[in-house]
Amino acid sequence: MTGVASNRTSAGEVRGALARLRAAGAALRARPASATLDSLARLLDTWRDPESKARRSLDSALPEATGFTLEVVRAGLSHALDGTGGSDGSGWSGAALRALVTHELGGLDALEGRGMPRALGPEVTSVLLAGALPTPTLQSILAPLVLRSPVLARTSSSDPVTARVVAASLAEADPLLGNCLEVVSFPTGDGAAMDAFLAADCVVATGSDETVARVAERVRPPRQLVAHGHRVSVAAIGPEALRGPGRADVCNRLAFDVALWDQLGCLSPVSVWAVTTESGLVDRLAEDLARALAETQTRLPRGRVPIEAAAARARERAEAEMRAADGRHVLVYGGGAGDAWCVVREDDAAIRPAPLHRFVRVHPVPDSDALADALRPLGTRSHLAAVALEGFGPDATRVEAGLLALGASRTCRPGSMQSPPLDWRRDGRGVLTPFLAPARASGA
Amino acid sequence: MSAAGPTRAMLDAAVLEWMREPPGTASDADDARFDRIARDLFAWQFERCVPYARFCERRGVTPDAIGSWREIPAVPAGAFKELALRSFPERATVKTFRTSGTAAERRGELHLDTLALYEASVLRSFVLHVLPELAGILEPAPPAPSPAGRPDRRPRLRILAPSAEEAPDSSLSHMFAVLARELAWRGTLSDCGFDVSGGEVRVDELLRALERALADAAPVVLCGTAFAFMHVLDALASRDVRLALPPGSRVMETGGFKGRSRELTRDALYGEIERRLGVPPERCVNQYGMTELASQFHDSVLRFPGTRRRKLGPPWARVRLVSPETGEDVAPGEVGMIAVYDLGNTGSVLAVQTADLGRAIGEGFEVLGREAGAEARGCSLALDEMLASSSEGRP
Repeated sequence: MTGVASNRTSAGEVRGALARLRAAGAALRARPASATLDSLARLLDTWRDPESKARRSLDSALPEATGFTLEVVRAGLSHALDGTGGSDGSGWSGAALRALVTHELGGLDALEGRGMPRALGPEVTSVLLAGALPTPTLQSILAPLVLRSPVLARTSSSDPVTARVVAASLAEADPLLGNCLEVVSFPTGDGAAMDAFLAADCVVATGSDETVARVAERVRPPRQLVAHGHRVSVAAIGPEALRGPGRADVCNRLAFDVALWDQLGCLSPVSVWAVTTESGLVDRLAEDLARALAETQTRLPRGRVPIEAAAARARERAEAEMRAADGRHVLVYGGGAGDAWCVVREDDAAIRPAPLHRFVRVHPVPDSDALADALRPLGTRSHLAAVALEGFGPDATRVEAGLLALGASRTCRPGSMQSPPLDWRRDGRGVLTPFLAPARASGA
Repeated sequence: MSAAGPTRAMLDAAVLEWMREPPGTASDADDARFDRIARDLFAWQFERCVPYARFCERRGVTPDAIGSWREIPAVPAGAFKELALRSFPERATVKTFRTSGTAAERRGELHLDTLALYEASVLRSFVLHVLPELAGILEPAPPAPSPAGRPDRRPRLRILAPSAEEAPDSSLSHMFAVLARELAWRGTLSDCGFDVSGGEVRVDELLRALERALADAAPVVLCGTAFAFMHVLDALASRDVRLALPPGSRVMETGGFKGRSRELTRDALYGEIERRLGVPPERCVNQYGMTELASQFHDSVLRFPGTRRRKLGPPWARVRLVSPETGEDVAPGEVGMIAVYDLGNTGSVLAVQTADLGRAIGEGFEVLGREAGAEARGCSLALDEMLASSSEGRP
């Protein structure tokens, strides 16, 4: 049975779902792990096809549910799943999933327990989904299933669709596996339902530091908590990419990274640091990025903007205008009535609020040491995700090492920020290993 | 500004005259009067506050080109953190109020070359909305004699904020000091006192004052920050103390909980106040004010009991609810950004774009806050969450 419950699931229904999942998990663990891995690999390969039933379901339902435009939904999914912009070109495929199992666990033998301790996930995993991006939802559900841990997924209010489409795909591809995913929906304020939901052996929670802390208070050992905090990504453009015609190309690729998922994903760049001592080059980078965002808007129109976010954008833009009016070298492009994007060329390297929804700041910074200083507040608080780098020439390795040391979990070229490999260590951890029992995980 | 325009002294006098008129006169709703003064003041500030003039010009707005006060560009409140928005020479500064924040944070500053308008605005707004039955004291009259030989049943003013001496750059403390001074001078209130010192609520002192009021059956006017109220309520709960303050008692609270370790909704706060102090929600007034403004807005519950709670301001301060996408006024009933036009801000800029959202209710409005409860659609961190900027509220 594919457990697609009613729109509002009661506490009793959540408990019932957990009980069914425990029973289904026993059957799942009784069959060879290879069968499960094969099914999950097939599911990923199927999802890569834009004409597949699942992708067509997402195309038809996600724009209305999430506020993203159809163009953004299609481009975002293709970019991540097909690997068209990925650094290794593989995307999220069945082969990539098998490679992940090999890389993190040692291969299928680990799942079967042949010649080594069996890699097995918790009896049941509850996944508290967050946000409107479908790709993190897909990965959050598949990871426990690889380890044969049935999943109880609670949809986010921003995306009630994706988890149900995953459930339908699974049920169609592999009914036994389909029995191992149930999708529930209830408001955050429903304490009884939340208590029942958090009673699983393992809980996956994604959200702000505050949200994660609240969940952590309620999930105590021996139950496992796999938490994913909110993160932010940025770009740094070195001197070699700031000069000449290559700059326009870099800006086109940065604009694509910004436009996908309307800058709401943790892999969306919110600020760009131009590493140069020439102020004019910083101006031109901002100008080119503004032009690129305007052009991208015609191909990938921005979606709905909630009034709170629109107010934050208007406020940040007006404050930048005031800094400019005060005689500082601050330039503001776009963001007025009818503009779906805004670029602010700042006059210093200091991090400022990011209102998202295609609002990008361009900061000057004289050298890579100053760049590290500027990003240090993000690294110190473990909030840094990806950094897009280009134009550092022979210095690139040193710059990259410095950023990884600051806590960045990924570096890549502009244009591929939104297509992380399936084995991206999102919070500095593996994708599968967090679901293993602690002793097994440490040995993995 | 044209040579024929009014001088600053004339502008101040025009606003002060309005502030000192008896409340409820026809002039309160005089839109033409507001428009005339606002446009003259805009012209004055455009001429003397260079960053503001550049900001307006960038938007294509000059004093000669506007047809109504509604077209005057509003400065984002956050700009007060980054630059000095003065329309007078720096040397003429007599007072600087600063927004709340830690030492590491940049704080907003309002520079004043006179306190006369600020103080006149404070008194009338507070009396009309928190002590409406005493509005008669706003008429010119000699101080009332102190009662002698019998219980003093005049309202008691207790303030859950530090004194102006302890927090000299706090507009809130200055406001309360002005109220205590003016109302005591008029013989309206007695036993006025500040019950926060050294960063702590002096709960024992406060309780003694409340017990004196109970003994004399004198109503209490308890004012302060929402966060200080929470501390008091927690202290009363830990001591298992429940009071029923005398009839006529009331509460005025202001500010929020941003950046605090614990948050309460306003309904929950008022529920606790009723439970611990015996003051029902319909006698609790929220004040909406900002360091960057001379005037404040108050809940209507005491001035117009039995009607829907909404924020009301004095006639010399008006609000526009603006679409963040277009900058135009939103349709009635729709949510917009709150822009305040305050004629009391003669020395800085009269139009301030707040960070809050609101919705019109009758002649007033309600404040919906910065985040109306929408769940984040993405996993990217809005950096202001991390930066923990504190442009809202006042110390």
